[in-house]
Amino acid sequence: MKKTMKKLLAMGLSLTMVLSLAACGSKEEPKQEQPAAEEPAQKEEAPAESEAEAEAPAEEADSAASDLSASITLWTYPIGNWGNSETVDSLVASFNQKYPGITVTVEYLDYTNGDDQVNTAIEGGQAPDIVMEGPERLVANWGARGLMVDLSDLFATEAGGEIYESVESACKAADGAYYEYPLCMVAHCMAINQNMFEAADAMQYLDAETHTWTTENFLKAVQAVYDSGQQNVGAIYCSGQGGDQGTRALINNLYSGTFTDAEHTKYTADSDVNIKALETLYAQDGINFDASINGGEEITLFRNGTLAMSFCWNAAQQTNSDNAAAGTTNNGDTILPMLFPSDDGKTELCGGIWGFGVFDNGDQAKIDAAKTFIDFICNDPDQVNESVKASTYFPVRPTLTGIYDGMETADTMNTFSEYFMPSMGDYYQVVPGWAEARTAWWNMLQRIGTGGDVATEVGTFVTEANTAAGSN
Amino acid sequence: MAKSSNMTSRSKALVRRETCSAYLFLLPNLIFFVGFVIIPMILCVYTSFFDSTMGKDAKDIFIGFENYVSLWKDEIFLRSLKNTFVIVIVSVPVVCIFSLWVSAVIYKLKGPALSTFRCVFYLPVVTGSVAVTVVWKWMFNNYYGIFNYIGQAFGLIDKNINWLGDERYALWCIILILLTTSVGQPIVLYVSALGNVDTSLVEASQVDGANHFQLFWKIKWPLIMPTTLYILVITTINSFQCFALIQLLTSGGPNHSTDTVMYYIYYTAFKLYRYGYANAMGVVLAIFIAILSAVQFKLAKEK
Amino acid sequence: MNSGVKRTSPYKVITLIILVILAILFAFPLYWIVTGAFKTAASINATTPDWFPKEWVMDNFNKLFSRQTAPLWELAVPFGSKFSADGNPIIFSAGPVVPASIRWLVNTVFMAVMAMVLTCITSAMAGYALAKKRFRGRTVLFTLIVCAMALPKQVILIPLLREMSSLSLYNTIWAVIFPTVGWPFGVFLMKQFSEGVPGEMLEAARIDGAGEAKTFVEIVVPMIKPGIGALAIFTFINSWNDYFMQLIMLSSTSKLTISLGIAKLQAENSTDFGLIMAGATLAAVPIIVVFIAFQKYFTQGIAMGAVKG
Repeated sequence: MKKTMKKLLAMGLSLTMVLSLAACGSKEEPKQEQPAAEEPAQKEEAPAESEAEAEAPAEEADSAASDLSASITLWTYPIGNWGNSETVDSLVASFNQKYPGITVTVEYLDYTNGDDQVNTAIEGGQAPDIVMEGPERLVANWGARGLMVDLSDLFATEAGGEIYESVESACKAADGAYYEYPLCMVAHCMAINQNMFEAADAMQYLDAETHTWTTENFLKAVQAVYDSGQQNVGAIYCSGQGGDQGTRALINNLYSGTFTDAEHTKYTADSDVNIKALETLYAQDGINFDASINGGEEITLFRNGTLAMSFCWNAAQQTNSDNAAAGTTNNGDTILPMLFPSDDGKTELCGGIWGFGVFDNGDQAKIDAAKTFIDFICNDPDQVNESVKASTYFPVRPTLTGIYDGMETADTMNTFSEYFMPSMGDYYQVVPGWAEARTAWWNMLQRIGTGGDVATEVGTFVTEANTAAGSN
Repeated sequence: MAKSSNMTSRSKALVRRETCSAYLFLLPNLIFFVGFVIIPMILCVYTSFFDSTMGKDAKDIFIGFENYVSLWKDEIFLRSLKNTFVIVIVSVPVVCIFSLWVSAVIYKLKGPALSTFRCVFYLPVVTGSVAVTVVWKWMFNNYYGIFNYIGQAFGLIDKNINWLGDERYALWCIILILLTTSVGQPIVLYVSALGNVDTSLVEASQVDGANHFQLFWKIKWPLIMPTTLYILVITTINSFQCFALIQLLTSGGPNHSTDTVMYYIYYTAFKLYRYGYANAMGVVLAIFIAILSAVQFKLAKEK
Repeated sequence: MNSGVKRTSPYKVITLIILVILAILFAFPLYWIVTGAFKTAASINATTPDWFPKEWVMDNFNKLFSRQTAPLWELAVPFGSKFSADGNPIIFSAGPVVPASIRWLVNTVFMAVMAMVLTCITSAMAGYALAKKRFRGRTVLFTLIVCAMALPKQVILIPLLREMSSLSLYNTIWAVIFPTVGWPFGVFLMKQFSEGVPGEMLEAARIDGAGEAKTFVEIVVPMIKPGIGALAIFTFINSWNDYFMQLIMLSSTSKLTISLGIAKLQAENSTDFGLIMAGATLAAVPIIVVFIAFQKYFTQGIAMGAVKG
């Protein structure tokens, strides 16, 4: 009797064990055997190590190239074509020509679930080795939680020294460590459907040459477009955090408010001017607070002619030709990129900075390989132009010029670097408690959209955000 | 039963053998049940007394019942608790009544018509909630969704309604989709349960002059009672599992009007990084559900 | 009223009409997904809906299949990552490289079938023991099972995630399968069915000298077969649709399931509706074909299950 029982049991168990679909297996770095000569148990980023590191991967990369062997994972958010497997595969291929020993496995994240995916992976003990995103996540979130490796050695390289100071400081954490090495940046702006504006005789309110307008004229233009029969002019989208830089920049610029204090220590969105901006927008015909869409969906609505303007625009959107010719909506209307309206004539655009961060998975060999990869992608003179081009954004070093020369998009990119990039404002996204504050922000917009009192709701937002900032 | 009297007469060795073999039969299941339900549940209770967050140097700090105390002050949690029960309390009876009505209409139909209807109502179940959600999201769209399109075309609404973006409608939209994805199985069950009702019983009562209503209430309803109970159980389970709809359609918004406790746990854990707090919520929800299941089971037993 | 003479009352006509309208509403999402997958980008983005594709194109599928790729299957040594030099799983067999979406289908089928088989075997055994055996701890166990039956998995989200991580099961399909198998609804159902097995039959078998295992396989299993069928279908459909566990436990492209894959497509390409529809079609059509082909067994399985459940 027992024998048969055992057989049954054994069958069940062997089913589970033997048929282990590839799935079975994880990367438990700590268990891994390391060559005895390597530094034992070096988990903390001691300054001494950083110095030593600076020499190894960054400068002597070429000679060390052949013997470096590791397998690393890279997770990218959809930053231009860095979310496109074809493009990324070719970038990895050129990396492997130089460093054949390092295998790079790429995973693609999205802005809806991406953060949760990284967070569950961290809890699951399988954080990626490299992640590509902006300082608000790499520095202010995962970096601040002690999960990232200090990359100051990369900044110590020649190329690293050329990086714009504002960008460099955004990559620096409060403790002085650098948790991100930047590759590219852009200034987020807005855009209008020129044909709709012309039909409403609203072009008179803006300066198409310099892409600027005043708050007063912006409101007049919205009213004119609304009066011309376009019910939906613009949407304050707030179903999630996707594209929230647009709503923040719009509100802050209307009456020159700020989102945080200059030191990036606390949130100041409850100032009178911000409240006034929100009240103005709420009262304005044609501007709807829409809790059913996020930034990406707003762009879709703008492109298909439902909305007359988008608050979630940038150079990459302007050159995007997936659905129609670049710079036009699906039915061929002209898209005109614009700065956010401002009452003092000085728009502060919300910047986007993207680069790489390395998760500390406790395996020095992988960290070295990851740094080698970043160094190659961002600093190798033969490679960096391709890397930036893949992002469809702008380089973070003044010495890199003419990246888009000869391409169809060159004119658009020049327009952007001439009229938009100089208006890049303070990179406040590194303020503590940022992840929580973003969440509180779109929740606040939802409450205002459903009729909540603006001053009260903004007050709630600031309290929540500052609590998060204080507890981190 | 004869069994219990046997029990006493059996020798101790036999009892031990019985217990031993019972546990051998239980073992494969217990490995999974204890390993992946009970142990995590215990850990969940344990962590709920700590202030726990993500981070390398993050230490769990023991705070006693503080998480539970703040739960009752957290309006969003209370709201999501309410929403969870609204979903369950609305969808369970509606699913049962709706599927019983549909089955009562179709079970006497001819073969192909019956299987077509049965199949159609089962389609949303097999299509999968994620795929179905994609379409519903478009149908509910504020600007060019089909509901607004039809509503405007027939003059039912004079202004586009932002179905998923409006606090008043969002939860009901979720419940509607949940209904379409949950009635498939109950309909199949009821159709065959009604088909299995002994025709001689029905005819006999007709001879006795029972009307339609009496026929149903006195004869058929008791006979399909076991089916109804099974449907109640699986529908309750399904309603509590409704996560994908909320995550993909509204992310709990607008203004937390579609937050359920299940979604709010996920949100607290991975957007706010408050693990201890999320676990405390889990414990509270688990207690509620355990009570509910126990009551449901007790009632079922009495019937 | 005699059953032979059927009056077509206006009431009946109206109910039938309502039913047809409802049926259309139920079938519409699927219709829209499948036709949408074959529409051109212009047609799918049209603000006034195109009820039927004016032009059938394969663009969306081409796009879907030209995205990421993955091996059709990968077989790894269990816990290989614990021993291998680089901490990666030791893969001893990998299939030809195919579009990732095909791999997602393979993963999903594997997951659902595995969950179904394991649940049925373990639950049938446990349900039988609970129904027919008297042993210490039986009441406690059964109470636990009843209470945990409707427990949503979100409740144990964080501990489960950490547990899977320490078992090196995170980001493997097993992390989704095991909690499904452990979920006690199956045991409950099987216990209800096993109670219908007459005790005399078991006693008779014992007197004939049949062992426990033999009694179970030859007497109990045939009698609770309908219940097993119901459980099999319920588990299969539930794990096919159980998006949450997949979302939490799986992260690499080659490990995703089809639901997760579509959800990702949706998040990444909210602009490309056609692509999402193509993915959704790929996810829905196989299981619907299976459903229609086996409709009889499907409906019978569930139905008989309920009679006693």
